Amino acid sequence: MKAGQAAALSRDELGLLADFSEAIAVSLDIETTLREAVQRIAEHMGAEAAALFLVEGDQVVCRGSHGAVDIRGLTLPLGRGIVGRTLRENRIQLVPDVQADPDFAGNLVGDFIARSMVCAPLSTRDGPIGAMQLLNRVGGGIFDDHDADFLRLLAGPTALALNNARLVGELLEQNRIKREFELARQMQRELQPPRWHGFPVHGVNLPAREVSGDFYDYFALPDGRIGFFIGDVSGKGMDAAMLMVRASALLRLVGQDRLTPAQWLARVNRELCGSVGRGMFVCVLAGFYDPSTSIIHFASAGIPPALERHADGRSRVHGAGGPPLGILAEAGFEEARFPLAGGALYIWTDGLTDIRGADGQVIGTPGALALIESVQSLSPRARLRGLICQLRHQPLPDDTTLLLIADDASAPRLLAALSVHTDPCNLRLLRQTVCEVLGRFDCPASLRQRLVLALDEAAANVIRHAYAGDPEGRMSLTVHLESASLVFRLRDWAPRVDCDRIKPRNLDEMRPGGLGINLIDLVMDDWSFGVPEDGCGNLWIARKGLQWEDA
Amino acid sequence: MSDRILSSSEEQGFRVVSVGGEVDLSWSPQLRKAILDALATKKPVAVNLAQVSYIDSSGIAALVEGFQQARGKNQRFALVAISSAVRAVLELARLDRVFPIYPTLADAGV
Repeated sequence: MKAGQAAALSRDELGLLADFSEAIAVSLDIETTLREAVQRIAEHMGAEAAALFLVEGDQVVCRGSHGAVDIRGLTLPLGRGIVGRTLRENRIQLVPDVQADPDFAGNLVGDFIARSMVCAPLSTRDGPIGAMQLLNRVGGGIFDDHDADFLRLLAGPTALALNNARLVGELLEQNRIKREFELARQMQRELQPPRWHGFPVHGVNLPAREVSGDFYDYFALPDGRIGFFIGDVSGKGMDAAMLMVRASALLRLVGQDRLTPAQWLARVNRELCGSVGRGMFVCVLAGFYDPSTSIIHFASAGIPPALERHADGRSRVHGAGGPPLGILAEAGFEEARFPLAGGALYIWTDGLTDIRGADGQVIGTPGALALIESVQSLSPRARLRGLICQLRHQPLPDDTTLLLIADDASAPRLLAALSVHTDPCNLRLLRQTVCEVLGRFDCPASLRQRLVLALDEAAANVIRHAYAGDPEGRMSLTVHLESASLVFRLRDWAPRVDCDRIKPRNLDEMRPGGLGINLIDLVMDDWSFGVPEDGCGNLWIARKGLQWEDA
Repeated sequence: MSDRILSSSEEQGFRVVSVGGEVDLSWSPQLRKAILDALATKKPVAVNLAQVSYIDSSGIAALVEGFQQARGKNQRFALVAISSAVRAVLELARLDRVFPIYPTLADAGV
């Protein structure tokens, strides 16, 4: 409106403008206010009908209406009709003869005939968000420039109020989502296990978004073993977080039931299959670590292969695959079982291998190995911290969770101890003891036979040579895990033997006796004689490395 | 031990010593005696080792002694139906090609 025309506003018009501006500025219910405003404007400006359209996506929708027919909810494609032109040109449209207007979309409602129209855009800084339209002057006649200017005056505060309401709504929605995420995050934090000083299992979770779909947990069992699991729920956001909470609770519960890792996953899988939503699933690796033997025993359901890093720097990847949980109720799961023997096991969700390197390619398992290798000189906890530092410098495509089980081999671990009289009938008991220990380390059957034979030969030598067949002598056997080797110590309390006389014989010679030392030589990595700490009797020490595949 | 087997019989022209169970120092002297007794019959001797689940060097020594004594007397001496446990130890001691070993007594043939 030009400055000179302002005086042309009547007292009624000024009153309406003031009331209207104030009403929509303080309104808490913008829809009701607009509906009332549209009615008041129509009545004041002597229009048969009035409507307020808002842009919603690729269409305009009527959100306020006055007249013989309530057209709220009426939808037009964006750009169509005179409303479309108003929005396109972002300019008021004064149409004395609607029927003759080339953009007229036709009579949309019942038998109402549109004759004259004035249509004002609701303009904001980001362009028009809708339009206000008046139709047909009551008692005939057409809308004029004065009407157009007055409608423009009303459109200003309307656009402002609507835009504010929209922004406030978005903000409220964002706050609501934020509160939900905060709650879910808090739940996740509470689900993560506490850090215990000196505990061999360490975990870390780096969420890619507000809420992670990854989880991990560990717990001590009454028999001294430690149960652990790591998981990755499909999808993101609240649904995934809820499934994560459920899967994590189930895994922890079932993990205490003295099942094998494969049975553990199978039971949780059956539970989840009955309750998980369509298209959702959970990848899990779950297992046990026995600090007394260093043995790791686990099964996996869709988690990337775990990395075993030996104390001597070599590494090996363990698959133990199975399908993710929650898809197939009858699914079976493979297991892996091996001694860590001073080494460490790294388990991660696919977030780690999906990181992109400098060349833009995903780093994959080799990249993950290189990352892990770069922190090897550190203590286990510091290794995880070092990995986090490196990962924080990279954009994470997905949640990334790492679990590290570090075996402390500094103290020798006693696996078995046996003390018997030197009666040859006790050899059987000795063989059974050795066989049981080897069974715990998944020693292949043929090698187990040989090791049992070697121990039997050593004990038979004690009986025959040290005690000269006296069944009343005493001997004791201990088996320790030291570094990555089994160490067998066989001692007696017989007179000292001349170690120099105990030598393997030439196997090509065909004679009945003297084979025992050859068999021991062939089977053990090394063996030697020592003197027991109390200086009494003889001590035979033999060592066998746990790398069975090299045997 | 309940799973021990040690018996002698005449079969297909052989004096057959059948052994079973875990052969260790606690009773390998009995096996040695049974083999030497069989050799004393001057008949061809076969030692059936099908039921042996474990054998140590003292058991192997009894077999070696029997084999050497038979060879000295030009008497036949064969191991028959050896179990995998026996084969493993014979291989380890490189004796698997020294003894005449047959899958069955019929294969040994008099």
